[in-house]
Amino acid sequence: MRAFKKTATRLIIRMTLAAFTVLALGPVIWAVVTSLLPLTALTSRPPDLNPLNMTLENYRLVFDSSRGLFSGLINSFIIAFFTSAVGLVIGSTAAYALARLNLPGSNKILMMILATQMFPGIVIAIPLFLVMSRIGLIDTHFALIVVYLSFILPIVIWILKGFFESVPLELERAAAVDGATPFQTFRYIVLPISLPPLFATGVFAFIEAWNEFFFAIILTRIHVKTASIAIAEFSGQYQTLYGQMLASAVLASIPVVALAIIFRKFILEGFVEGAVKA
Amino acid sequence: MATLELVNVIKKFGDFTVVNNFNLRVEDGEFVTLLGPSGCGKTTLLNAIAGLEDVTSGEIKINGKTVNDLGPFERDVAMVFQNYALYPHMTVEENIGFSLQLRKRSKNEIQEKVRKVAEMLELDKLLHRLPRELSGGQQQRVSIGRAVIREPSIFLFDEPFSNLDAALRVKTRGEIKELHQRLGVTSVFVTHDQEEALSLSDHIAVLRAGQLEQYGTPEDIYSKPATKYVARFIGNPQIDIFVGEFETGGEKLSYRIGELSIPVSSTIKPPRQAVDMGVRPEFVLLGEKGFPASVRLVQPVGPFTYVTVEWQGGTVTARVSGVSHLQPKEKVHVKFAEEGLLFFNRENKKRIDIEER
Amino acid sequence: MQTTNEYNRKRFKLGLWFTAPALIVLLTVLAYPIVASFVLSFQRIRFAGQGLTHQFNGFNNYIELLKNQTFREALLRSIYFTLTEVITVLLLALIVALLLNHPLGRHAFFRVVLLVPWALAPVANAVLWKWIYNANYGILNYILISLGLVKENVIWLGKPWLALNMILLADVWKAVPFIALLLLAGLQNVPNYLYRAARLDGANTWQQFVYVTLPGIKTTLVISTVLQSIWALKVFDLIYVLTKGSPADSTVLLNYLSWRETFSNLDIGYGAAIANVLFVMMFMLSLVYIRALRPRQTATLKGTQAKEG
Repeated sequence: MRAFKKTATRLIIRMTLAAFTVLALGPVIWAVVTSLLPLTALTSRPPDLNPLNMTLENYRLVFDSSRGLFSGLINSFIIAFFTSAVGLVIGSTAAYALARLNLPGSNKILMMILATQMFPGIVIAIPLFLVMSRIGLIDTHFALIVVYLSFILPIVIWILKGFFESVPLELERAAAVDGATPFQTFRYIVLPISLPPLFATGVFAFIEAWNEFFFAIILTRIHVKTASIAIAEFSGQYQTLYGQMLASAVLASIPVVALAIIFRKFILEGFVEGAVKA
Repeated sequence: MATLELVNVIKKFGDFTVVNNFNLRVEDGEFVTLLGPSGCGKTTLLNAIAGLEDVTSGEIKINGKTVNDLGPFERDVAMVFQNYALYPHMTVEENIGFSLQLRKRSKNEIQEKVRKVAEMLELDKLLHRLPRELSGGQQQRVSIGRAVIREPSIFLFDEPFSNLDAALRVKTRGEIKELHQRLGVTSVFVTHDQEEALSLSDHIAVLRAGQLEQYGTPEDIYSKPATKYVARFIGNPQIDIFVGEFETGGEKLSYRIGELSIPVSSTIKPPRQAVDMGVRPEFVLLGEKGFPASVRLVQPVGPFTYVTVEWQGGTVTARVSGVSHLQPKEKVHVKFAEEGLLFFNRENKKRIDIEER
Repeated sequence: MQTTNEYNRKRFKLGLWFTAPALIVLLTVLAYPIVASFVLSFQRIRFAGQGLTHQFNGFNNYIELLKNQTFREALLRSIYFTLTEVITVLLLALIVALLLNHPLGRHAFFRVVLLVPWALAPVANAVLWKWIYNANYGILNYILISLGLVKENVIWLGKPWLALNMILLADVWKAVPFIALLLLAGLQNVPNYLYRAARLDGANTWQQFVYVTLPGIKTTLVISTVLQSIWALKVFDLIYVLTKGSPADSTVLLNYLSWRETFSNLDIGYGAAIANVLFVMMFMLSLVYIRALRPRQTATLKGTQAKEG
């Protein structure tokens, strides 16, 4: 009886796992499949899923300049790259200072940083929009990078601070005794051994910046449309071109999904850290 | 080469005083150990000497110059850390040569110097390894190499052997002693292991709760402990201490414990204050003559056997050469060698030097 | 008197330089606008020629809010949306986390599976579901009709109550992975020996779950709840892509409403007022967050008092 219960449980679990995988990946796979099929195949009843019909036609069409996807990808890349690069530089230094450099009031600063996570973007979007209109920063890469930095920095600092605190103090003391200035200690000792969390945080920042939409539509007009905007517009304007619509979504998603999968180890460890730290 | 002086050093963390009015003078080329249990402030003192931590008040002088304001490097000290603190992403060669790199020495010079140090410490075959590929003892030596290459005025050691196994500990101890004999650099060593302190040092500073209990040569610390605390802390197995009093009157001088009188050399003058008596195992003699006692515990440790017996005054441990065939509950007699008796003022716990008549 | 040696002084100085850039960014981009937004909500702003006129409007914006039916409905809808999403996400995420914690589910593959929905841009997610929900050619209708559960094509995004819940579904699908990973990490932090002890005490699987697992992940559960609530209130991309608020404003949530009032209807002060209401709601949630994270001492204190009492 016990053996039966055990096999039954295992069976249920396996089935649930299978169901979970289908539910989680299904929509995505369906999206990719759709993007590879011509319109006629999609609009026929039942949908004609014959693999022989698969084509990259949708992708070719989507790159037509009037669709804005290509420039969207470039803009998104520039913005995400600089957000994560600058975010890492000033975030890691701030995190190190809070972790090790005896700053007074570091606790209060931390609380402040946590607090920034907890309000809706719209609150700052309105004033920012007004100010930026006045200084002519609307529709610039800089505007978005700076705004994204403001929400990325707290997370970067939070994660890296936790990590820097786990670097043995003895190492930094040894460096001091060897003659390293605090900056040299940071650059030659602490940073090199922090590459994994640095990477993970950088990737995370990149993904967040790339995926952002709200501030993108508020702060850009024509020149700096990001990939997210391109897809959204596409889905509005050309919504009956189903294959192309999905193709644009897939294209814009490949970079971030790929990054997530490549750096999965670091990202997943980051979650564990986050749960423990919290 | 340098002298080191600590003058009235006090270190507080908030309201908590870790080091209280500490004074010390280490002569050029000496090997001095700060000895004490965990929490007695010895590591704090070491960090203060190194310049890694500030002092609340007091002066630290190297070669007569007050160095309170200077950082570790400017003080020209080098330190060997408890957990080695090797840079994990650098090879042995890079670890040892790091300080030279920071001073922008030429590659050749660095290579040369590192090679010499590595040879001296038998690390020359390991130069290209990373710390995680080394054994504990090897990491230890790299840590020492990193300090040696600095050619500093003072070496500082922070319990460097606590992570090594027993055999390795004794071996490395010997290596450190040889190194000191060879290089002759003023050294301050921190440990809680009294055997280490006794075997390595020119002088020992016994610390207790941030205060100096005694400063002396190993011999003095052992056979002329300044206080009961030092007497108990040093010596393995621990000294036995009894409560009794001197008996005057009569021809022979004796110290009376309960009903028994222990003969004490008649050439000495009985002290006026109440004293306790202490005796180390090697001065406790078992045999036919003496006070009746029964064996309680027999612990052989190779070259000796420690036999704990119960006698009228309590329990006492004797050190017997070689192997003992005594069994628990066996009856023996115990007496005490007069020259090994130590007397401690009962009130202030200090050892009394018994005056000669 | 404490002297500070040169090394420590250098460290302090470096600390200042190191934190300055980040603080500057945060102060200008966050602190200033938060204050400004508060001020704006008390103003009536009109476009005059090239620029804007700011007119002090007292609490009028807020009063208008309370009187406005669209706002009230959006508020109620947001509350419904948040509550439902949090409960659904937490339940599903817990199941997923438990699955992945089970020996059968420990494989790295499953964790990667979770990463895919997480990494998608919310806009891409919206497009994806727009296609799935498509009345004529969407796969959802196709599957339901093939299974005989539905007779004819449902216009998922056309009916008020339905549209709202389809948006909810799309967001739940995207939100579960993150919370599941968070809960999974929490589950893995529950030490094995607690389960062993419980089993020795005779607890069955369900009892182990209630008495060991749940208390063990309590903090993670609280954090997940608060985080998910805050995110539910922030929903925007889905509404923008899927319905733009229709049909008949039935999918308008607070965040979207605020945006619409400010940038479409150009009633900036009013929009700012809505934003601030949202802010207050999230602020209170985050207070819960902070409260939940700290008083562990008081909990144990009460525990010991209870024992003695």
